[in-house]
Amino acid sequence: MAEYRTHMKIIGDILSTTRDDLQDEEGATVTYLIRKANISHSRISRILKTLVSQGLLEQTDVQNSNKYKISQSGREFLQAYYTFTTFADNFGLTI
Amino acid sequence: MEFLLENILNLIGFLVGLTIGIMSLIGFRNTGSPTLFRLTIAFFSISAGFFVIWIGYMLEDFVIKTGNIERGLQTLGIIIQTVGYFFIAFSHSIKSFFPKSRYFRTVGIFPLFLVSSVQVEHIFRSVSFILLAYGAIETMLSYIENKNRGAIFVAFGLASLALGEFLGWYSFVFPESILNSLSISIKIVGLIALFIPISKIPLKRIKFDSNLE
Repeated sequence: MAEYRTHMKIIGDILSTTRDDLQDEEGATVTYLIRKANISHSRISRILKTLVSQGLLEQTDVQNSNKYKISQSGREFLQAYYTFTTFADNFGLTI
Repeated sequence: MEFLLENILNLIGFLVGLTIGIMSLIGFRNTGSPTLFRLTIAFFSISAGFFVIWIGYMLEDFVIKTGNIERGLQTLGIIIQTVGYFFIAFSHSIKSFFPKSRYFRTVGIFPLFLVSSVQVEHIFRSVSFILLAYGAIETMLSYIENKNRGAIFVAFGLASLALGEFLGWYSFVFPESILNSLSISIKIVGLIALFIPISKIPLKRIKFDSNLE
């Protein structure tokens, strides 16, 4: 059975992919992120829109295709996410 | 001796609860996680509960001086603590029973408790015991799943607090026995155990970022 992921965990997976596992220096395409984060196109579109509007991801238009890279705020968020994931783990909880 | 132990317990409870509450709040401010929000409410409530009881002891010791602790303040403190324990147990119940239901994430699940005591303080001690025991079991199950060593300390801490609550409740039956001192000592050990894994979380580089809210 597939492991249930919280909304926060999916955001963490997307951000860590855009930080550690990029296809190239220009960023990751939506298709690549869908494969890596394992979620539907409609759901990832909503999440990416939110992450860009919050300044956690940078969106660039390369040859008529949107690519996403993590921003400095995104890196700080991801660091906080990892820290507090450990914190919640100690209570047997997931953030 | 018992008075001193109660003071130490309530001060440690206040400080440990406050520290973990602040850390949860920083986590919530940085990530927006509802779990961390519930932990914030839980540990601020636990801290406030211990503080209210401590104030009761201080008032008795330095102002009222009747030789009896103010029962109203003690009961209020225990009720506030129970609210905190409820939020810890509630977070576990969401994770265990309703991981995919948005409906149950938004409403409170108020479990039914079978209690026989007539005094409010006894009722809330019983409720605290059930919530703490539940939290300890769920945390232990989480350790078995994830092998996170910090969870052992938290499970032990919650279990010690549960045992302390149980002995504290039972000491009403034998008021002059060693049970109450034992209960307080076990609760102090439990609070210290709760704090051990949390003290290892590196927070130095985490900062408030208003843009992330």
